[in-house]
Amino acid sequence: MMKTIALLTGRLARVALWVAGIGLVLMTVLIAAQVFWRYVLNDSLVWTEPASVMIMGWFIFLGAAVGIREGYHLSFDVLLYVVPQRIKLVLHTLSDLAVAGFGVGMIWYGWQLAERTAGNKLPSLGISGAFDFAPIVAGGVLIVLFSTERIARRAAGLPTARFGEEAEID
Amino acid sequence: EVTLRSSDTHPEGYPTVVAVQKMGEMLEERTDGRLCIEVFHSAQLGQEKDTIEQTQFGVIDMNRVSLGPFNNIIEKTQVPSLPFIFRSVDHMHKVMDGPVGQQILDAFSDHDLVGLAFYDGGSRSFYNSQKPIRSIEDLAGMKFRVMQSDIFVDMVSALGANATPMPYGEVYSSIQTGVIDGAENNWPSYDSSGHFEVAGYYTLNEHLIVPEVLVMAKASFDKLSPEDQDIVRQAARDSVSVMRELWQEREKVSEDRVRAAGVEIITDIDKTPFIEAMVPVYQKYVTSPKLQQMVADIQATE
Amino acid sequence: MELYVLFGTFTFLLLIGTPVAFCLGVSSFATIAYLGLPPVVVFQRLNSGVSVFALMAIPFFIYAGDLMVRGDIARRLVALAGGFVGHLRGGLGQVNVLSSVMFGGVSGSAAADASAVGGLMVPQMKERGYDTDYAVNITVVSSIIALLLPPSHNMIIYSIAAGGRISIADLFTAGIIPGFLLAGLLMVAAWGMAVRKGYPTQPFQGVRMLGTLFVSAAPGLILVAIIFGGVRSGIFTASESSNIAVVYALLVTFFVYRSLSWSDFIEATFAAVRTTAMVLLVIGCAAAFGWLLAYTRVPASMVALLQGVSDNPIVILLLLNLVLLLLGTFMDMSPLIVITTPIFLPVATAFGVDPVHFGVILILNLGIGLCTPPVGAVLFVGCAVGRIPVWDAVRTIWPFYGAALVTLMLVTYIPALSLWLPSLFR
Ligand code: NA
Ligand code: NA
Repeated sequence: MMKTIALLTGRLARVALWVAGIGLVLMTVLIAAQVFWRYVLNDSLVWTEPASVMIMGWFIFLGAAVGIREGYHLSFDVLLYVVPQRIKLVLHTLSDLAVAGFGVGMIWYGWQLAERTAGNKLPSLGISGAFDFAPIVAGGVLIVLFSTERIARRAAGLPTARFGEEAEID
Repeated sequence: EVTLRSSDTHPEGYPTVVAVQKMGEMLEERTDGRLCIEVFHSAQLGQEKDTIEQTQFGVIDMNRVSLGPFNNIIEKTQVPSLPFIFRSVDHMHKVMDGPVGQQILDAFSDHDLVGLAFYDGGSRSFYNSQKPIRSIEDLAGMKFRVMQSDIFVDMVSALGANATPMPYGEVYSSIQTGVIDGAENNWPSYDSSGHFEVAGYYTLNEHLIVPEVLVMAKASFDKLSPEDQDIVRQAARDSVSVMRELWQEREKVSEDRVRAAGVEIITDIDKTPFIEAMVPVYQKYVTSPKLQQMVADIQATE
Repeated sequence: MELYVLFGTFTFLLLIGTPVAFCLGVSSFATIAYLGLPPVVVFQRLNSGVSVFALMAIPFFIYAGDLMVRGDIARRLVALAGGFVGHLRGGLGQVNVLSSVMFGGVSGSAAADASAVGGLMVPQMKERGYDTDYAVNITVVSSIIALLLPPSHNMIIYSIAAGGRISIADLFTAGIIPGFLLAGLLMVAAWGMAVRKGYPTQPFQGVRMLGTLFVSAAPGLILVAIIFGGVRSGIFTASESSNIAVVYALLVTFFVYRSLSWSDFIEATFAAVRTTAMVLLVIGCAAAFGWLLAYTRVPASMVALLQGVSDNPIVILLLLNLVLLLLGTFMDMSPLIVITTPIFLPVATAFGVDPVHFGVILILNLGIGLCTPPVGAVLFVGCAVGRIPVWDAVRTIWPFYGAALVTLMLVTYIPALSLWLPSLFR
C-alpha cells in the first residue's frame, strides 16, 4: 500500500521537477531575448523582467517541495549526532510536522494573498495580481503532501532521504 | 497609549520621514501622549508594494508611499500620475489641496485604507550621458530607465525613446557602461543616487509631478475614538506644510551640489511638443467618463 | 518576550534537524501568531523575498556552473590552472581563490560566485583527493572577494541607504585593495592548511604542455572575457551577464566540444533547479525573519546598547564590527545594509570614520556574515555544491574565517587601505 502511494508521489515529484526545469530554461531564453532585443534590434522588451521573476517563483517553490521528498534541503545536524536512533526518528517526525504546518500556511495564506490581489493588474504583464501567489500555493500543496509522505514512510519502516545522506526512496 | 507604526522607504532625515515624525509630535501633544508615531524608515518593513499590503492587513498602521504602486489598484490614482498633467508644482498643490485631491483620498476607503494627506514627490525630468536634450527630436532612439509601470513605459515610447525598466541599483553602472543612455528623476534622487556623476545632462522638462500619499490602515483608524480620528486627520494635514518646506530645502541643497559638480542643466525647452505627444497616452489611460472629468477639472484649476 | 519566541522556536527546530529555511519560516510564523498579527505577512515576505530580479544571477550562475561541469569546460579550466600552479602545495585551493578574483570582478554577488566557482572547483578538488570540507570552505570564504571588487551592487545599496551622499565610484574603487588583500591572505591560509593535510602536488608539466592545456581550455577562458568585456563595455548588465554565461556554456558544450548529451543537459537543469530552490527558499524565509527583527526593533536596541558603552573610536569600531558580525550571523546582507546603515553610519562618522571607509568595513563584515551559520546564503551554496552538512563544513572553516577576520581588522584600523586608491582618482 505505502509502496503504491510512494510510486505515485514519486511520479508527482518528477512532474514538478520537469515543470521547474522547463521554467529555468524558459527564464534563460527570456533574459537572453531581452539582451538580444536591446542590442541587436535596439528595442527594449519591458515584460521579460517581470515574467522571469514570476517563473523564478514557480521553480523555487516547486523545486523546494521536491527537495522535501528528496531530502536535499540544508539542515544543521548537531544534536542528531548524539541522540539514540529511536529519539532521532521522533525528532525527524517532529521536524516533518513543522514543515507540513508551514506548507499548510503557504496554501492558506497564499490563497488569501491571491484573493486580495486578484483585482489588481500586474504592471507590464497585464494579468491578475493573483498569479504572483500561485507558485506559493502550488508549492505549499506539494510540501504538505511530501512531508506527510515522509511521516508515513517512517511509520511503515521505509527509508526517508536527508541532506548529506544517501537513501533509495523511489 | 498607542504607538502607530509608519513605514517609509526613504532614509532617516528625508523630508517625508521627518514630516511624519513631526506629525507624531503633534499627535503626542494634542492627545496628551495617547497617540504617537514611530517611523520605520529605509524600507525596513519592505518595499512600497509590500508595505501597502501590510497596511491593508492592518499589520502596520500608517504608510508614506508613492502613487505609482496604487495605479493598478485604485484607478483614480492614475490621473495625477499622468505625464504633464500638472503645469507646475504650484498647480499640483492647488489641485491636490482641492476637491480633486479629496476625491482621490476618499477612493482609498474601498481598499481597507484611509487616505490622510498628499506629500510632494518633486518633479521628474530626464538626464542622460550623451548630449543636451533640447527638443523631442533629441530623444529619438535613446534608452531611458523607467520605473516598472505601464504609464511611464508608454510615456517614454510616445516621446520616441526606448523605455528600459531595470532595478534602481543597476542604473548607475548601466549608464556608466552605456547599457542605457539615462534615466529620469527629481533633483534629490538625481543627486543622492550619484547618477549626475555619470549622466551629466539634465533637461528640466518636468514630465511628471507626482504627489505622494500618507495613508492609514482602516483597521487601525477604526480603533480610534471619533475625536482622535479628527486629531489624526488634522495633524496629517498640518504635516503637509512642514513637508513642503523641507522638500524645497532639500531640492535646493541637491541642485546646488549637482550644479557645483559641473552638470549641464537645460532649462530653455518648449514643452508644447512634449505635451502634444502625450495624446495617445491619455487616450489609453483616461478611458472612463469619471477619469475624463477629473482630467478636465485639473486642467480647469487655475 | 516575542524575541524569546522567535529565537527559541528557531533554535529548537534547528537543533532537531529541521531544514534551515523552515526553521526561519516556522519561527517567524510562531512569533507573528504570538504577537497577534495576521500571519499572512510571513508568506507575503516569503514571496517578495524571492521575487527580486537581482536574485536571478544565482540560478543562472549555478546553472552555468552545472553545465560547465557536465560539459567538460570545468575539467579543462582546472587542468590549465593545475598546469600553472598545480605543482604548488594545495594548488587547487589557490586556483579557487584566484577564480573568485576573476568571477568577483564580474558578478558582485558572493552567492553567485560561490555557485559558479564552487560548481566548477569543488567536484574537481574532491576528485584530486582534497577533503570536501576544505574545498567547500575555501570556496565559501573566498567568494567574499566578489563583494569587494567592482561592480558590487551591495555598494550601491549602501550608497542609497546612506542617503546617497557617498560617491558610488569612490566606493567601487575603495573595495579593490581590500579585495586583493583578502585574496592574498586566503591563499596563505589555503597553503598552510594544504601543508598540514599533505595535499597532493604534481610535477610541473612543462611549457609545451601548458600551451596545449591553454588551447583546450580557451573557450572556457573566453567566457570570462565575454562576461568581463560585456559588462565593462555595456553590452549587458551585471545580472544579464549571468544569463550570457548560461547561453555561452550551452553553445560551447553543444557545438564546440560536443561534450554535452541531451541527458547531461536535462540532469544539469535538474541539478540547478534543486540547488537554486534550496538557496532561494532560505533567502525568502530570511526575509520573513528579518521583517520580524525590524518590526521588533532589534537593530535599534543594539545601537542604543552600543552607544552607552564607550566613547573611544577604536573601541566603538571594534564594537560596531562585533554587532555587525552578530547580526550578519542571523540575517542576510542587503536587508542588513539597508537597516544598519542609517543607524550605524552616523555613529561611525561621529567618531571620525570616513563614510567610504565605513562602507568597505560594512560590506566586508556582512560578507563574513554570509559565510557563518545559522543563516549564511554563501555557506549554504557551498555546502549544497559540495553536498556536505553545514556542520561538517564549519568544523574546519576556522583558518579561513581567521584570514577574513585579519583582513577585517586591517581594513578597519588602516583607513588608507580603502581611501588611498579613490584619492588618486579625485
Ligand atoms: Na571561491
Ligand atoms: Na551568516
